[in-house]
Amino acid sequence: MKTAGMALEQLSEVVQRCQALPDDSYTTEDHNIFTVAGRTCIEEGNSAQVLSIVLDEKNQEIVRCMGWNLLPPLIQVLLKKEDKNLPQCLAIFNHLLETCRPKELLIGLLEQLEQDDPDTIVESLHLLLKPLQKVLLCLGGRKASSLGMALSSVLDQVAKLPLPHTKEQEEDDVFSFCRCCTDMIDFVRPFVQEVRHNLLNNEMQSETTNRTVGRQGKDKEDELRTELLKFCMKSLSHPLLEVHLKDPDTLALSPLRTFATEILNILGSIGESIAGLVHQPLLKRKQVPGFLEEEVRYPKESLASLAHLVFVHHLAADTFPTVFSPVFSLRCNIEHVSLLLSRTEESKLQKGLELYEKSLVRVEDGSLRADLLEIKTFLTVPQNLIKVMTICPKHELRTKGLKVFQLSVDKFNTEAKYRFFQYMLKTSNHSGVEGYIIKNIKNQIDIALQPGNSNVWFEGVQLMPLLRKVLILPDGPETDLLQYLDRIMESLNLLRYLVIRDKVTENQTGIWTELYKIEDTFMKPLRVGVNMSRAHYERELQNTMEAKKSKAKEESVLSVSVGGEELPSMTPESQIQALHSALHTFDMIESVLARIEELIEVKDNL
Amino acid sequence: MAAEPTREWSDEQLKSDDLPKKDIIKFLQDNAAHSFLNEHKLLGNIKNVAKTAKKEQLIIAYDQLFESKRFKGTEAVEEVTEKVKAVKVEEKPKEVKTEVVDEGPPKYTKSVLKKGDKTNFPKKGDTVSCWYTGTLEDGTVFDTNVPTAARKKKQAKPLSFKVGLGKVIRGWDEALLTMSKGETARLEIEPEWAYGKKGLPESKIPPNAKLIFEVELVSVD
Repeated sequence: MKTAGMALEQLSEVVQRCQALPDDSYTTEDHNIFTVAGRTCIEEGNSAQVLSIVLDEKNQEIVRCMGWNLLPPLIQVLLKKEDKNLPQCLAIFNHLLETCRPKELLIGLLEQLEQDDPDTIVESLHLLLKPLQKVLLCLGGRKASSLGMALSSVLDQVAKLPLPHTKEQEEDDVFSFCRCCTDMIDFVRPFVQEVRHNLLNNEMQSETTNRTVGRQGKDKEDELRTELLKFCMKSLSHPLLEVHLKDPDTLALSPLRTFATEILNILGSIGESIAGLVHQPLLKRKQVPGFLEEEVRYPKESLASLAHLVFVHHLAADTFPTVFSPVFSLRCNIEHVSLLLSRTEESKLQKGLELYEKSLVRVEDGSLRADLLEIKTFLTVPQNLIKVMTICPKHELRTKGLKVFQLSVDKFNTEAKYRFFQYMLKTSNHSGVEGYIIKNIKNQIDIALQPGNSNVWFEGVQLMPLLRKVLILPDGPETDLLQYLDRIMESLNLLRYLVIRDKVTENQTGIWTELYKIEDTFMKPLRVGVNMSRAHYERELQNTMEAKKSKAKEESVLSVSVGGEELPSMTPESQIQALHSALHTFDMIESVLARIEELIEVKDNL
Repeated sequence: MAAEPTREWSDEQLKSDDLPKKDIIKFLQDNAAHSFLNEHKLLGNIKNVAKTAKKEQLIIAYDQLFESKRFKGTEAVEEVTEKVKAVKVEEKPKEVKTEVVDEGPPKYTKSVLKKGDKTNFPKKGDTVSCWYTGTLEDGTVFDTNVPTAARKKKQAKPLSFKVGLGKVIRGWDEALLTMSKGETARLEIEPEWAYGKKGLPESKIPPNAKLIFEVELVSVD
């Protein structure tokens, strides 16, 4: 164990010894002694003495070679902020930054960036980004890969920080996250300027003469540009895809919105076209020779985040050309939407819904053509929407999902609606969704029957194949009526509507010629099913009530399972309630069925 | 006309339990005329038909089919509705060209401000590059890519895109196809061929706005 005095002695000793030697003959032992002794001195509070050693003119060679090893304890002191040795340590630190070799300083500083707890992370970022920047700027033409390393490290640390979610959290910046974002932008600024400058020079040079920057020089510039591109792409993914940006009305001065805007500005400065990036899914980009392939260079999630920032938050609106057709924007954005809606994180689902909604709203109702449905994404996105509508735990997202789903339907023209409904009935496998589609079909028929709206899809010959898919029981008389209730009720509603609305003499929908078949395939099996189910449930009700009376412990007659796991058995009271509810449902089905039969009879007798 | 289907199963085979109802139904559905199936209540999903039809009925139908020879294609009228295409889900290439339907007179006007070379006209699918300035009827400039001294020293580039494919508003697509390289024109585009009833509120374009563009066609590839 070293005493304070001992460490200082050893430090002075090794420094004196090395003063006489040329720097390339310092031994490994010299390095080790300097490092250990120096660090101990600082840790023990002898920074004043270390400072005088470090400032001594005779020692500059030594400091240049070995000084950077003192960084760890120095930075610890600087992070503590209340230490009485702070001024001296700060002075040593600054001197080392001036004197030591950039490459070594870089290693030392980056090492100290890696912290575990959020508070230390934000403080070390705030402390070290400026020195890092300074060091990197000293590297001249070789800075690109080092900058890349630094940015990667910084973003890794930022990823460990808690994000502000509410307006208050962002304003108060309790976690100092917003300050980090500001620090990062300040950090990259000079490098962005350099790339911008290079690009301008290249343009000017290639305009005035045919000479361009030498091959090697150009590669270095490309590397720098690529590192900044990587940084922007990563930032778009995290934190920008996770945070919920507040609009100017909600929060006039928003550091996160500023950060997002700055990232877009950087992209512009380094020569990326925002419009080009947003439209990338549809553009066949030329393969850029370099050390990053297309998909790595422009990660899809980052581009989706970018599209959201542009179309939902209107960032960079003044650089985005106002000439693209809304349908084209929709076709590009739907690819981004597809990606976002295929994720499970609520923040991404939310953004997917918002982007889809914004893209749809710009398109006129009834204007999207059926050939768009040949693009696979136009079918996978509704399926993703259905997942959100039906199984997403968050209520607001389910509601919004439904709203956007209906909005998308409204934008299709009649042929496209027809094909879309066909497709959904075939593939959704969900009674609620099918019911919703059937309701839409009814609305479309209603519109078609109004004077002036006649179309070939929702009346006449084309309508019948669609109706046949609707007016049918999935498993005949054995269909589980409760499971398919939503669908069955909507089908009955539709049938009732048709029978009332379409005159027998006109038969615009074809229902009257088809009715005998529908009676066979739908109404009769349904009646049989209702009767069977009712009998079954009435029996169960009887049993349950008797079991309750006798107070014998019976095995439950109903078991409910969710996601494969059976829920604990219901109490007899709950069971009885459920059975009554089921019986009530059968009554409901039967009454609509009876009404329809009544209406048919009346019309038949006319 | 296809050859008559052959009778594959003997009476014994038909009655045997080894032959499932579904197979007989499938054969009948594949080979019998629509009206035949209708009469014998054999239309619809095989599973459902199997539930409601008895084996004896199926055997009778099978026999009757070969007796009456009411095979597919022998009926004068097949139902028109069978011809309706089912929705196809295929991985089509993403370049779906939006075919423009002829709807009447063009909804834009063009006045040439500077003549082009009159030889290089873009075709659909060519990549064109333009400088442009867009204004509303009241003179408000809502968009431009022309570099001016006032703008930050950003590297300004002409806007490049493939013309005639519906990527831009229709007024642009139609007008650019009539321009030659080097031409500068003033386009006045009716809302129907611009942003229509909705406009683009966040880009300062109100609903039903007529847009005025000054466009210079720089290059055609």
